[in-house]
Amino acid sequence: MRERSGTVDRFTAPFRAAAQRAAVPFLIFLSALFIVLGKADIVLFEHLRITVADAAAPILQAVAQPIATAATGVRNIEAVFAVYSENQGLRDENARLLQWQEVARRLEAENARLRGLVKFTPESPVRDVAARVIGNSGGAFARNVLVNAGSREGVNRGQAAATGEGLVGRIAEVGDHSARVLLVSDLNSRIPVLLDDTRERAVMAGDNSDQPRLLYLRANAAVKVGERIVTGGAGGVFPPGIPVGVVASIADGVVRVEPYAELSRLEFVRIVDFGLEGVLPQNAMPLPKAAKGAKVIVDPDVMR
Amino acid sequence: MRFDFFQRDAGLPNRLVPFTTTLLFAIISEVPLHIPALSVVTPAFTLMAVYHWTIYRSELLPPIAVFAVGLLLDLLNGTQYIGTSSLSLLLVRSALLSQRRFLVNRPFPILWSGFLLVTAAVIFFEWALVSFLHGETLGAQPFIFEAVMTVASFPVGSYLLAWTQRGFLMRV
Repeated sequence: MRERSGTVDRFTAPFRAAAQRAAVPFLIFLSALFIVLGKADIVLFEHLRITVADAAAPILQAVAQPIATAATGVRNIEAVFAVYSENQGLRDENARLLQWQEVARRLEAENARLRGLVKFTPESPVRDVAARVIGNSGGAFARNVLVNAGSREGVNRGQAAATGEGLVGRIAEVGDHSARVLLVSDLNSRIPVLLDDTRERAVMAGDNSDQPRLLYLRANAAVKVGERIVTGGAGGVFPPGIPVGVVASIADGVVRVEPYAELSRLEFVRIVDFGLEGVLPQNAMPLPKAAKGAKVIVDPDVMR
Repeated sequence: MRFDFFQRDAGLPNRLVPFTTTLLFAIISEVPLHIPALSVVTPAFTLMAVYHWTIYRSELLPPIAVFAVGLLLDLLNGTQYIGTSSLSLLLVRSALLSQRRFLVNRPFPILWSGFLLVTAAVIFFEWALVSFLHGETLGAQPFIFEAVMTVASFPVGSYLLAWTQRGFLMRV
């Protein structure tokens, strides 16, 4: 038996040696091929990416959850030491907010009266899904996070993802129980925005830095540092008015935005379904009928 | 590439340790660590594992394993440029194999300096490649940050890998 395997070894040895020599160039070639294919055929790789993400989601969640719990524990201990000064700050803030509450109540009542007068069509009801961040892109050339909610929880491509502070990004890929949020700072992120004071429109484009740029801003727009930025609603991707950030700097004609949401410390995000279909394809496949069907389901809610 | 993996061998689980740790390092680099300094760009942990195992036990981390881990890394981090990590990790493995005699069993500062050079080369390569593919020169800041973070956290990664190596691979 041993002799026989020795013979086989002798017979296969040259082939094995050749395979070993060819392995590295072949795999390097394969990697390069993948890069080219990824650039050309995004759909195939998109399916592959989300399938892998779906399969890895339980593992990532199992690792992410204890780390998040430990991080929360550390933050809680830190908070104990800051409790006095924080309390002082919160008292001041509370006093200010109570004044604002009065203003808001008055405006709400006034708004309701005016809406009644002009027979205003109310916006469709908002449905949201809270999801835990279970993965973030570690590399320097992608800015996205993986969350543990997918199509089973009603997450769809193109929906907005936000935290309490503001917009985080949009859903780029959806699996069964995981989805990928393309952050506003990603290279491929383009979001129509509106500058709140000057009412100027622009497109906020990520460039992998912490502060996205504003593109297509009117040449003589009077933008100021500190001006508030909200989603513009152009293109029907997001409804108008979601807080995005403030103008952080204007240098050499480049306007940069500091997002309200802390993109580097995301733990949970709220995925918001405004019932808008937008300009983004809902799926890689053409699904005009499915899209219509979905609208019929939404309509009774709107009527209610 | 050796086919030791498939031979009847009592040490097979141990022989899988380099691949398993590299895989684990790849997964850890995708998980939110909630450490303020590491939250924007995670250090390239996978690069540390490939560097370490190529120098000490390259036969236990064959090119196909490096390719697979690189591919998984790209698929998990959602980049449009799938294959970038496998390509750079394979190039690192090939380049290191010819230089490993200068690094094996040398004092830690030499090992660390070698890693500094490798990281600088890899990050520059990735920056140039992604800039080329994107059709626009990308801001270098996140890449420089990643390189600095990676080199700075090398002692920890290297210690863990050396500890694993002592524990599992002394007799294999």
